[in-house]
Formats: sequence, C-alpha cells, structure tokens
Amino acid sequence: MAERILVVDDDAMIRRLYTHELGRCGWDVDAFASGSEALEQVAPESHAVAIVDIEMPEMSGFDVMHLLRERAPKMAIILNTAYATYKDDFQSWLADAYVVKSSDMEPLIVKIRELTGTS
Amino acid sequence: MSTTDVFVTESDMLSLPSAETDAELDQLRVGSFRFDSDGVLVSWNKTAERIFGLNGEDTARDRTVARLDALLESGLAHRWDDIIGGRTKFVRRGLECTNIYGRAMCLTITGRVIDNDSGSRPEFVGYVVDSNEQAGGTAEGHIAAERLGVLADVSVALTSSLELNQILRTILTGATASQGLGFNRAFLFLFDATTNSLQGHIAVGPSSAEEAGDIWTNLESKRLSLGQLLEGHEGPPQAGQDRLTEHIRQYTLSLDDESRISQVCQSCQWANLQQESVLDDITTGLLRMLGTTRTALVPMVSKGNLQGLIMADNLITSRPISDDDVRMLQILANAAAVAMERARLYDQQLERAQELEKANQLLKESQEQIIKIEKMSIIGELTSAVAHELRNPLTVIGGFANLMLKDSPSEIQREYLSIIANETRRTEDVLTHLLEFHRDSQQEKTSFDLNELASRSLELLTGRLSRPQLGIQLSCHSEPLLVWGNQDQLAHAAYQLYHLVAEELLPPGKAEARTEWHGDHAALVIKLICPADGRDKMIAQLRQMFSENRPSTRLTMLVAEETIRYHGGSFGCSFTEDGMPSLYIELPRADQEVSHG
Repeated sequence: MAERILVVDDDAMIRRLYTHELGRCGWDVDAFASGSEALEQVAPESHAVAIVDIEMPEMSGFDVMHLLRERAPKMAIILNTAYATYKDDFQSWLADAYVVKSSDMEPLIVKIRELTGTS
Repeated sequence: MSTTDVFVTESDMLSLPSAETDAELDQLRVGSFRFDSDGVLVSWNKTAERIFGLNGEDTARDRTVARLDALLESGLAHRWDDIIGGRTKFVRRGLECTNIYGRAMCLTITGRVIDNDSGSRPEFVGYVVDSNEQAGGTAEGHIAAERLGVLADVSVALTSSLELNQILRTILTGATASQGLGFNRAFLFLFDATTNSLQGHIAVGPSSAEEAGDIWTNLESKRLSLGQLLEGHEGPPQAGQDRLTEHIRQYTLSLDDESRISQVCQSCQWANLQQESVLDDITTGLLRMLGTTRTALVPMVSKGNLQGLIMADNLITSRPISDDDVRMLQILANAAAVAMERARLYDQQLERAQELEKANQLLKESQEQIIKIEKMSIIGELTSAVAHELRNPLTVIGGFANLMLKDSPSEIQREYLSIIANETRRTEDVLTHLLEFHRDSQQEKTSFDLNELASRSLELLTGRLSRPQLGIQLSCHSEPLLVWGNQDQLAHAAYQLYHLVAEELLPPGKAEARTEWHGDHAALVIKLICPADGRDKMIAQLRQMFSENRPSTRLTMLVAEETIRYHGGSFGCSFTEDGMPSLYIELPRADQEVSHG
C-alpha cells in the first residue's frame, strides 16, 4: 500500500503540481488549501509525511505544524516555502526538513524518500 | 585749528558703557549726547544737559537738532542731512554762544553718525566741552576735548580688532603715547577667575630715562598721529617693552589678600596712588618692584565682571598724575574691558561655529547615509516581496515543464519545454540571490580585506557553473586591501560579477582577475581575454549583459552596481590598451569611509 502524503498549500497550482508529480512517484497525495481543512481530515496514522507551506492567510504553516504534531506525532513534516529566510527561524527546527520551493522538485522528492525510508 | 575728529560707531558705543562712561565724562565736564535719525535728542549726560540748558521749559518741549541749533548757532542742523547720511563728520571749535540762561560759553562740539549694522536707523553721537566751564580756562578745556578725541580714536582701534593681544596693546599704546593720554608707562594685568588673582601680562613704555629719551625723540621725528600709532605704523620701544613685559609677567597678585590693589578690583573704583600716603605692604611691594611710587590704578570692568587692571605711571617725566588723568584712563579701561569681553565672546562663538560646522557636516553625511540606507532598505523590501511573489508561479511553470518532459514529448516539444525549464531555473537562481542580498543588507558593516572577499566569492563559483573549468585566474595584491562595508553583501556583488563573466562571457575565452589599489580605492579588476577574432563577440555579449533585453542579467548587474555604489564605490567597464574589456569594482579604503559605521 502506497504511503500517503499530505500537502497543505494555499496556492492551487502548487497543490496540483505536487499532486501530479508526487503521484507519479507512487505516493497517494491529499492536498488542502488551509490548515483547518487538513486538520479535519487527518487521523493519527493516516499520512506518513506532511508538506506544509508557511505563508498562508488563515493559519501559518508553523501553527499547522504544531497542531499536526499533536494530532499525528509520528508524521514527518516538511516545511516547504518560497522564503529561504524561514530556515533561520527557530520554529523551523521543529520540522523534519525544510525545502525551498523550486521548479526542480527533485530535492523535495529525495527528502520525502529519506523520511519514508523508501530511498 | 586742529581737528580732533570724534569717530564713533555703534560698536564704540557698545564699548563705552553709557552709565559708567557718562559718569566719568561728567567728572571731566565733558557733555555727551545722542540724536536719533529724525534729529530728536534721545540721550545725554548731566554735563550736556547743563551746557545745552535742557531743563528749560522750551527745550524740554522741543529737543530737536533744529531747536538746539537755533540756540547755539552751531551749524549742525544746516548740515544735518549730510551728517546723518554718514557723508561727513561734525567738528566745531571755539563756538562762542550763550545758553538759555544767558551764560556765555565757548564750545567745542564733535560728533558723527553711528553706522548701524543691525538694521535699525542710524544715530548721531556727539560730545561737547565748554572751555569757559573748565577750571583754568580755555587751555584745559582744549586739553579735555583733545583727550576726548584720544579716547574716541582708541575706541575705534579697539572695535576694529577681535584679537586679544592686539586689543591689550592698543589700550596701553593709547595710555602711553604722547598723542594719547601721555602716561610714561602702563602695565596690564589680566584677571584669572579660577584663582581670583591678577596675572601680569603686558607692559608698554621705556625701561629707563635714557631709553625714553631715544624713543621719544625717534617718535617725535616721525610725527605720527595716534591713529597711525594704534594701527601699528610705529610700535612702542621693543627692547624696553619686552623687558618690562618679561618683568611684569612674573608677577601674580591674589585678590584674596587685603591690599589697595584688591580693593580697587573689588570696588571697581579707580585710585590715584600719588595722593595716598599710606599703602599696604603688597601694593608697596609691587610699586617697588616697578620702581615707581606715583601710579594710577584702574580696574577693567565689563558688565560688572572684572577683566583686569591697568597700572600707569609717569616714572620718567615725574609729571604729577591728576584725577582727571585717571578718569580718562578709566574711560579707556572701560572701553577696553568691553572690547576684551567681546574678543573672548568672539573666540567662543568662533569655536562654537566651528563645532557647529563640524556637527552640520556630520549631520549632512548622516542624512545622506540615512537616505542611502532608506533607499537600500526600500530596494531590499521590494526585492524580497517581488522575489517571493515570483517564486510560486515559477515553481509551477518550471514544475509542469519538468513533468511534461517526463511524458515523452515530441522532439520539438522537448526542446521548448527544456527552454522553459532552464529559463525558469535560472530565474529562480536570480531570485535566490536577490533574497540573499536582502538578508545580507541587514547585516552589520565591518572593515575587511578585499583580497579575501575576492577569493571567497570566486571559490563559491566552484561547482555552481555549467562547465567544469572556471576560466578565471585570480591574482591578489601582496598587502591587505582594507575596505569598509557589509562583507556578505559585497561578496554577493563580486560573486555575481564572477558568475556573469564565467557563464555569459567566457566561452571561448578566459579571464584574469586581480586586486590592487586605485589611488585611495581598493579595486577588483576582471580582465576578459579571448582570441582576437572573438573580441567583437565578447563586447557584444558584454553590451547585452547590461541590455534591457536581458532582464535577468541586467537586474543582477543593477543590484551589484547599487550595492557597490551604496558602499561609496564604483562599478563599471573599461578597455585595456590591447582593446580587451575589463570589469572592475572599486571600493574606498577603510579609513576613507568611516562614516558608514
């Protein structure tokens, strides 16, 4: 059974791209536009990895990460953002990985494989 | 008839305090008065009041120049327009007339308009002496008028100088010149408020009768006026003066001690020691040291503040010192005290002005710096905002292009998708550098070696180029090239320059980079080298780098250029003697750019 990946990003095109690309890699992807939507659907063991954008209008990626940690402690969390500067933010240290958004998705895919033990 | 012109300016009046000076003038039976520009009498002392009969009923109602002239027939009103216009002075001697009480007078009246720098209207200041009223008749009255002229001349000389030593010498010259008050010697002591003491400072006069004879004969033969003496056409005897000055400078007198000298200074009242038979030991000791017994002591006081003390004697001629002599000396001392205070204030103001000028310069530099920082801050904020907004769409565009490439597109589709993916990737790199630039712009500035920066930036290129060979050889100056600024920010600028040279310009050429001093600037120069037949192509590429048709490279160059300019440096392109282009960065050496701290 394929690992499930949770994507939380307010940009519809990003969600579509990730759903398509990560799906091609063999993962099942559930993509949500906000943290609150995602939290409604997530169960403790439902997803192996969450890819969370940081700059979102309703709830920041950091808040989403904290809530996901409470809801699903075993879920690996990748902060994925256009802002390289957040890497220096101490809140980012709580994430399992920090990947800057890029048209080259290889770094993200490599990181997911590492975290899911499928590399 | 000699013409002793009373030349008075507003500054003179400032240096002749009316309350003190008018009292002394009254003692000398010299009248002083002042008309406003409309010819209305606005102030006068008691002597002038008596001479002009200003208490009379008619005069009390009409105190105009016309009324006064009608009484005295002095001709002042007739020439009033020229006088108040500053075109002429007024001198009238031996004017025989009667006042309103019918008293016969023989008047000497002098005066002139005050030039006013402060913008208010001019005034006429005059002095009047009634020879008949002077004890001893016309001769003494004439002497009084002449001495008044001396005081006026000295006042003019005092107001023309703001240099303390020149003022002091003017005072003593006025006191000792035969054309002046005619004392043989004069000594000036300056008051030191911190120690409440008098310190001997300067002396004028001969040190012996023999020397006096030589000097006075010499001066007599030159027939110099007091004005010429005061202007320094002929100084007092240098040798004797120097000896006397050296002598007097060794003397310090504490005003805490009870002595006649202390009393004069504390009471601000002159003393004629010739008429005092019993003196304290301190004063006697000073007189003995100076070899004199007949001395006038006058305090120099300005606005109640003691400035110093003048001692004057007639050691050589033994001419008796009259109280009138001392009063004249006191008037001179009053003027001198104000001039000294003004000189000190001027020095203080000058010092403050210099401090203000320096502060203004720093402020100006700070303002320019703030503007630069604000500008950079705005650029940084905009850069950051734009870069982040572009990041998501670029990720999507490039991401889908990459996805489509994986779906086995046709050859032509593959070519176009590759272009989209590569250009997207390159634009993402530019955005990354812009964001790093913004981050670095918030870091602090330090002094650092341009050699290290040039090396570090070049090392960063390793592994980041599309080709394995770097193609740029760096040769560093043998000594550190210390510059000032944000090291990371400048490193990025240098990196961008290297990167553009390596990626855009090098193939098929190479580049030689070197660091060196360009005057008071440290420079990183990148000389581009290629075969002769590739030179035109390289120059075309270089032009394209700065062209609006290449927004990605142009933006990078603009940011690099702005960074360097922000640090007070310059960035540009020049051509070497062999016609090859060179790119350069120049940064001011660290000690040239301290204001950036």
